[in-house]
Amino acid sequence: MSSKQNPLEFILTAREISPKRNADKRVKDFNEIYLSNKDDKLSRQASRCLDCGNPYCEWKCPLHNYIPNWLEQVAQGNNQLAYQLMYETNPLPEICGRVCPQDRLCEKACTINTEFGAVTIGEIEKNISDQGIKNNWSTNLQKAPVKKNKVAIIGAGPGGLACADQLARNGIKPTVYDLHPEIGGLLTFGIPSFKLEKQVIRKRRKYLEDLGVKFKLNTNVGTDITFDQINSEYDCFFLAMGTYKNVTTDIPNINAKGVLQALDYLIGNINYLENFKFRSANYHDLKGKNVIVLGGGDTAMDCVRTAIRQQAKKVTCVYRRDQLSMPGSPAEVNNAQQEGVNFLFNYSPVSVEIDPIEKSVKGINLQQTVLDNDNKIKSLENSTMLMQADTIITAFGFRASPADWFREYEIKVDSSGLIITGKKANKLGACQTTADNVFAGGDMVRGADLVVTAIADGIKAANEMINYLSEKISE
Amino acid sequence: MTLYHSSQAKDSCGFGLMAHLDGKPSHQLLKTSLTALTRMTHRGAVSTDGKTGDGCGVLIQLPTQFFKSIAKKLNYNLGKRFAVGQVFLNPDSTKARKSKQILEDELRKETLTIAGWRKVPIDKRACGSIAQQSMPQIEQVFINSPSGWTEEDLERRLFIARRRAADKIESDNHYYVVSLSCRVIVYKALVMPEYLDRFYLDLADKKLKTAISLFHQRFSTNTAPLWKFAQPFRLLAHNGEINTITGNRNWANARQAKLYSPLLPDLPHLHHLVNQFGSDSSSLDNMLEVMLAGGMSVFRALRLLVPPAWAKRTNMDSDLKAFYEFNSMHMEPWDGPAGIVMTNGKQIACTLDRNGLRPARYVITKNRILTVASEVGVWDYSESDVVEKDRVGPGEMLAADISNGQIWRTNKIDDHLKERHPYLEWLRENTIRLRSNPRLEKQAAENYINENLKDLPIFEKLFNVSIEESDQVIRIIANDSQEPTSSMGDDTPIAVLSKQPRNLFDYFRQQFAQVTNPPIDPLREASVMSMETCFGREHNVFQETNALAYRAIIETPVLDYAKIQQLKSLDQEFYRFDSISLNYPKNENLEEELIKITDKAVELVKSGCVILQLSDRDIAEDKLPIHAALATGAVHQRLIKEGLRCDANIIVETATTHDPHQFAVLLGIGATAISPYLSLQIVNKLFTQSKLSTDIISARKNYLRGINKGLLKILSKMGISTIASYRSAQLFEAIGLDSSIVELCFPDIQSRIGGSTFEDLHNMSLRNAIDAWKPFKKIKRSGQLKFVYGAEYHAFNPDVVTSLQKAVTTGEYSDYLTFADFVNQRPITTLRDMMQLKLSDSPLQLNQVEQKESILKRFDSAAMSIGALSPEAHESLALAMNKIGGRSNSGEGGEDPKRFNSNKNSKIKQIASGRFGVDANYLSSAEVLQIKIAQGAKPGEGGHLPGSKVTVEIAKLRNANEGVSLISPPPHHDIYSIEDLAQLIFDLKQVNPVALISVKLVSGPGVGTIAAGVAKAYADMITIAGHDGGTGASPLSSVKYAGTPWELGLSETHQALIENGLRDKICLQVDGGLKTGLDIIKGAILGADSFGFGTGPMVALGCNFLRLCHLNNCATGVATQNKILRQQHFHGLPEKVINYFDFVAQEVRTWLAKLGIENLNALIGRSDLLSIIDGETAEQHKLNLKIILESSKRPGKNSKHAKKTHYQQILNSPFDQGALNQKIISDISNNKVSNKPLHFKYKIRNYDRSVGASLSGYLARNPDVNIQIHIAFTGVAGQSFGVWNKEGMYFDLIGDANDYVGKGMSGGQINIKSPVDIQYVASRCAIIGNTCLYGATGGRLFASGQAGERFAVRNSGAVTVVEGVGDHGCEYMTGGAVLILGPVGENFAAGMTGGIAFILDLRETLERKINPEHVEVFSFSDVECDEYIEQLHDMLRQHIKATNSPWAKKIHRNFEHYIDYFMLVVPKNNCRSDPCFSKQNSDSVTSTNKLKTPANPISLRLVK
Repeated sequence: MSSKQNPLEFILTAREISPKRNADKRVKDFNEIYLSNKDDKLSRQASRCLDCGNPYCEWKCPLHNYIPNWLEQVAQGNNQLAYQLMYETNPLPEICGRVCPQDRLCEKACTINTEFGAVTIGEIEKNISDQGIKNNWSTNLQKAPVKKNKVAIIGAGPGGLACADQLARNGIKPTVYDLHPEIGGLLTFGIPSFKLEKQVIRKRRKYLEDLGVKFKLNTNVGTDITFDQINSEYDCFFLAMGTYKNVTTDIPNINAKGVLQALDYLIGNINYLENFKFRSANYHDLKGKNVIVLGGGDTAMDCVRTAIRQQAKKVTCVYRRDQLSMPGSPAEVNNAQQEGVNFLFNYSPVSVEIDPIEKSVKGINLQQTVLDNDNKIKSLENSTMLMQADTIITAFGFRASPADWFREYEIKVDSSGLIITGKKANKLGACQTTADNVFAGGDMVRGADLVVTAIADGIKAANEMINYLSEKISE
Repeated sequence: MTLYHSSQAKDSCGFGLMAHLDGKPSHQLLKTSLTALTRMTHRGAVSTDGKTGDGCGVLIQLPTQFFKSIAKKLNYNLGKRFAVGQVFLNPDSTKARKSKQILEDELRKETLTIAGWRKVPIDKRACGSIAQQSMPQIEQVFINSPSGWTEEDLERRLFIARRRAADKIESDNHYYVVSLSCRVIVYKALVMPEYLDRFYLDLADKKLKTAISLFHQRFSTNTAPLWKFAQPFRLLAHNGEINTITGNRNWANARQAKLYSPLLPDLPHLHHLVNQFGSDSSSLDNMLEVMLAGGMSVFRALRLLVPPAWAKRTNMDSDLKAFYEFNSMHMEPWDGPAGIVMTNGKQIACTLDRNGLRPARYVITKNRILTVASEVGVWDYSESDVVEKDRVGPGEMLAADISNGQIWRTNKIDDHLKERHPYLEWLRENTIRLRSNPRLEKQAAENYINENLKDLPIFEKLFNVSIEESDQVIRIIANDSQEPTSSMGDDTPIAVLSKQPRNLFDYFRQQFAQVTNPPIDPLREASVMSMETCFGREHNVFQETNALAYRAIIETPVLDYAKIQQLKSLDQEFYRFDSISLNYPKNENLEEELIKITDKAVELVKSGCVILQLSDRDIAEDKLPIHAALATGAVHQRLIKEGLRCDANIIVETATTHDPHQFAVLLGIGATAISPYLSLQIVNKLFTQSKLSTDIISARKNYLRGINKGLLKILSKMGISTIASYRSAQLFEAIGLDSSIVELCFPDIQSRIGGSTFEDLHNMSLRNAIDAWKPFKKIKRSGQLKFVYGAEYHAFNPDVVTSLQKAVTTGEYSDYLTFADFVNQRPITTLRDMMQLKLSDSPLQLNQVEQKESILKRFDSAAMSIGALSPEAHESLALAMNKIGGRSNSGEGGEDPKRFNSNKNSKIKQIASGRFGVDANYLSSAEVLQIKIAQGAKPGEGGHLPGSKVTVEIAKLRNANEGVSLISPPPHHDIYSIEDLAQLIFDLKQVNPVALISVKLVSGPGVGTIAAGVAKAYADMITIAGHDGGTGASPLSSVKYAGTPWELGLSETHQALIENGLRDKICLQVDGGLKTGLDIIKGAILGADSFGFGTGPMVALGCNFLRLCHLNNCATGVATQNKILRQQHFHGLPEKVINYFDFVAQEVRTWLAKLGIENLNALIGRSDLLSIIDGETAEQHKLNLKIILESSKRPGKNSKHAKKTHYQQILNSPFDQGALNQKIISDISNNKVSNKPLHFKYKIRNYDRSVGASLSGYLARNPDVNIQIHIAFTGVAGQSFGVWNKEGMYFDLIGDANDYVGKGMSGGQINIKSPVDIQYVASRCAIIGNTCLYGATGGRLFASGQAGERFAVRNSGAVTVVEGVGDHGCEYMTGGAVLILGPVGENFAAGMTGGIAFILDLRETLERKINPEHVEVFSFSDVECDEYIEQLHDMLRQHIKATNSPWAKKIHRNFEHYIDYFMLVVPKNNCRSDPCFSKQNSDSVTSTNKLKTPANPISLRLVK
């Protein structure tokens, strides 16, 4: 419906993502691998958007970002308007542009994806929002009169930050508690810098602080400070504490020396590199080691690529199913392959082989698998083999880690430890817990999931809390 | 309560008049006129009893001698001057007596004496049973005049007495004074014309003599017509339809207080000046009567009521223009197709509407008899006795005064009128034209940008202007002065069902012309349109004085800043300006506040306010705006009621109007002019955001111009040409508004299902206001245009599309059920979503219900042309539909003949207004011939296939040139009324007697009435399309605001067909948004036999609902002509469509089983199986949907319609058997030997219609019969002579022909010439009628005389020579060659994008007659191009050979002389590709361009 340049741009111009640094160079540091793109390239790529009657990209995006609308602005060179549109639905566009699995969401749904190559939505989001933050293009968006309501957010991960931003936009200046020394949660401590440089988070922190958000870091609610202490101080709460318990396996010798949990390994590395001085994170240097990573998700990819950058001798990713079944983003697998990671598909671990004396890892016994018609795994008999390794990292995902004090405040969790919200829990909306003034969202409610879904929860919770507070006042 | 009301009948007809010009009365004249009437029987309709007509009658001079002798016999004493009244009385004699008494009392009050009453002798046997049931008592009353009174005195007193009596007898429905006059008398009845003088014995009495007979025969859309609606009325007979009738009636009421004539002192006391209900023609008759009684001359009165198009004529005399302009200030035109004949017993007149939409041909014979009629040749005069014959043209008038034998033609009448007063001087002295002023505009914009930008978001939120509206509507209009285009129709809920806050304007659906009147093409026929708007008090129309011209005039009712400033600064004595604020305190009651505003308006106008502004501009946080539509409507109605409306002008300063529809609503409900301040401010904002491609002043201008264009389109959609007539005509249906709102604000707008109340509207504004004053709250995305998550619901949302595509790909029924659940469980989106099935307690087993195969037969794909679809998609669809036993629809773009006898043949062939590829072969290849009257997404509009989509293949199918845009006209130029449709259906049945004729209508109020008419016109199938139909490309305001949900239209139509006993003959199809089996089930319950699917099968073929069809870049290859996309990216296998329909049928079966119904036939009309659910919102809850269920109810077992509950496959055969066609076919079959050419001779008369069509069809069906057939006819050919003429057919006619000669001709030749022994100059007379060669693709036509209006319209290949043409000649022509040896009418070559025309321009007026948008004119004096000269010469020689035309011979003899007067008209684009024209000049429109000899033979060659 809009008057666009050439309606056939999507045929005339091929999909083109911005260049990556060469694999041999990028493995030598922890900097981001994608180069930023020039405006004319971005606008050319943006003009491939058909502006479909059904914007499938927007539909598939958990935040329902106004993708076609900002693409149109980028195509016409109005980057500032584009950024404002991005920020309207997404408080952390520069982060989503970097870490969202677009190839599973918006770009996968893009009408021209299968036949012509999707519009490079993620990359445009990243580039434009970097410009937006740099130029402070969103400053004049905050006009809400300041309200006196006091809200605390526990957890400064994507969900907590999104909630804080949304509240601040509406005049409520929240306080965010986090046990880590820097905001961002897993964005900072879990995702390696080559995917998300930490200066990005620092800029966002500055922006949020300017907006009036207060951060109380290095503060673990429940230990450093009791919930009781803050309960009297705030009108309501948003819990966004994530899921930190590693999923484990009970194969023999899994607790042997040399077997690492993915998250511990990643946090330790970032803590070391960024000098965060986070007290409970040990650094593991895998230089010269033979490393096996078990698992096929995005975390596994983060591990293998971190290991490569630590100059491990050999890094192998072992996954139980085939490549197509990998739950993570295909682009990340591709990056890992380019960087020299070996992949072994259709093998599942049977036991860890240890040095009987040192009790340390020597390797892992693997059994070949096939997938039956229902995509279930079956092990093949007599297919066991030993694969040598110095270090084994398990990246099987994360489970709920509910805090002890939940019970005391009648914040109910389900059998797997996830907080119960929504209609099952209370009357107000999707994010209210069984405790009236406590809302929750993100991984601790839905289980380990994407950054973008956590952001969506944060926004939704903020809106519900605003309603909750205004109703409370009128009562 | 039901939807269909027989009182809404519309009509059209055959009409005419005969008069002895010297006033010599005779019985013979009456008798001949009855013959003439009988010979137009085919223009009327016949009821199911085979005898009852829809009414016919005659208006004759009062035969005084005849009545004197009757009075004598009755012993009544008749004086020197007496009058006779013809009166229909109540069959109940008590009631009749009472009414008679009142009439007598009123007559006596006027000092008239009643001589007595006479029972009019009738023979009931001449009447059909249906007519007898409603027959009144018919009596005549004899009245004596006091001595000394003149005829005029008596007429006036009779008029007043009659009107007063009528006001008192309103309760008696039968009482009706047919005529009451000392000059004329009317005899009319519900009989067929041939029985009229058997019914009224008086008419057969030789003693009854008259010198004037005005006659009329009616075609009503209703099978229970009323006696009183038969025509003629008391002064006139009218063929056509007054589109603006509601407005005219309103204005007549408003003006009553203004009218004063000393001759009619009691005028103000009448209840109404004109009829408020019933026939539009009768209201027109009333108005004419008032004007004449008030002392106005016949000429001025008629020219005032039905003026020609004057506003834009550059070639009109300025004094004459001044006459029209002056008069236009006091009366809006009664606009619409109109052929009017009138008489007051002494003068006679015939006049046509400005567009010449009804035919009128006249003949004057040696014995001084003038005959005017819809057709020529209605009685058998001898051609050698004819002294003059011609046609009455658009806006022309023919009159005569039989007291002195003078004949008055248009020019003479106009000269007479314009010289009566110094109109031009009056206007120059007193009228002020308000103009735009760029300096002021700039100032306004700058002021705004400096000061008010910060407040804009408050306005936007308060008035609910979404981001889409700013960006996709206002911005587009400001950039392109053109509404945005949209594809795929509207799949959002109608306003009342929506859960989003919607603009009140969304509740209004535009009405549009279909069947009973034609839409206009506002682009190509702009010359008839006018938006001129006047300010100032109105005055008494009976008084023509200087002061009456005291007016301020603007060219359009949309005000820019400068104009509103000027309005405010006009002389306050004459133009006092006052403003009323529309904002009211939040906690007050909306309805009460609204009434307060009307009180205030009355007060202000009474105190002298002339320009009354209603403004919603002064918003405040504690206030809410009253919607401008409510305020405008309420104030307008109130001022009418108080007799003050004509003292004031209502201007509306409002934030609510952004797109053309919204402006149209305000004007349609009574606003004089509108100042859209918020839209202009949004334009300013867009400018500051650099979202515009132009500077700010142009953008503001573009915006206003775009709105204007859109308004013109909306007017013309209803066939209305002037804003003055549109204003207050209330041409909308409201869907979802409670009657309390409608009654107060728009009483003439129908709102049939109730809905939102004042309270709901108040709450809606409150919702908007909550966020409006919070600066941090963002302006919302409404999702009204495209899907936006969390905003408006879309029926084809991503879930629906993707799940359907998955199901048809996997072929799994379980996947289909996922899709079906998305649809069947959606939030309430359509009316049917509020209707729940009552499942049976004893369901059937699946094997007990009808098989899939018989269900699939009921499925058709909706019309989608090649052009809209890629050929691949089009063929896939055809293959699939043929495979499942359903039917695919060719759409309107023609079809490759190679497909005709294959499994890729589209069984439905569409006939649309462009007639692309419509010839005998195409028509003969079909099982169903569908006449597309309107399209759901854009009813009343034409189409435009942009040049970029006209590929080589498309061009071939449509007989056009590659890359050249193709235009489909808004109307079918052969359907301007219901009897025209009947004629087209007859044409089609003659060419393909086995095909079902289907007529596609769009749901709107009164569609049932139209459908009944269509059924009476012998259609076999009717499609009712909902407003939500898809489309390739359509202006947004049409997609959003025209047409209504099919639930209403379908049940109304079903009911109308049942009540009229026609249901068994009509296969009723529904079309619009059908997706699942549940839709089918509900459709059947509401009355459908058959189902049309558009978008569903498209999505199955891979369409992703991208809404880009108009851009030709469909990424799925479905709706594009782009080669790469079609060849590499289209994956639509027929199997996917087959899967889809298979699933739907399967689902239908499961529902049937659950309902316990064995088959769909048994389900039709079973509305007892539906229950209405409560609804999810307050507004939904208030809807009255029972009315739909009541309407679609199956008639009970004891009803007389019990057996006609659904389509029974009965062929709807015409009354007319087409005798001559049958004879021709049998003669040919009997004489066919070897391949020798055959020769035949026949006499032909005007009732021999569509002659040749059967033969064309026969030849198309028997390609082996490869012979030349020569037929010589003598006489007058009926309509459609040589229609669909084919190669091998050579017709020679000596005599005249009527309309549509050579329509759709593809080959062969037609020659028409006058007899040798004529007395008139043939080349100056009409020899063929209107719309000849419409849609011709080949062949040749030579006629040695003039043609009527719209000659060769949409011609794409025929070669023709005529000796003059009427208005709009060669319109939309895309090919062929036309040589005109005489004058052309207005607007020649409008929209002509191909072909060539040579015109002999002896008067050198061609340049002013031509529409230069698409063509250039070259003079032959500059030409050095021998090819063209040779072509012209060749055509001339052929014409002489074919017709022996004396005129052509003369030109031929003196060719060197005449060549200098020949002009060449060619499309501009041709000049670019044609080597004949030098390239550097190709952009100029001057006639001095040099032609040079082509290096290669040129493309336009005579077809030899």
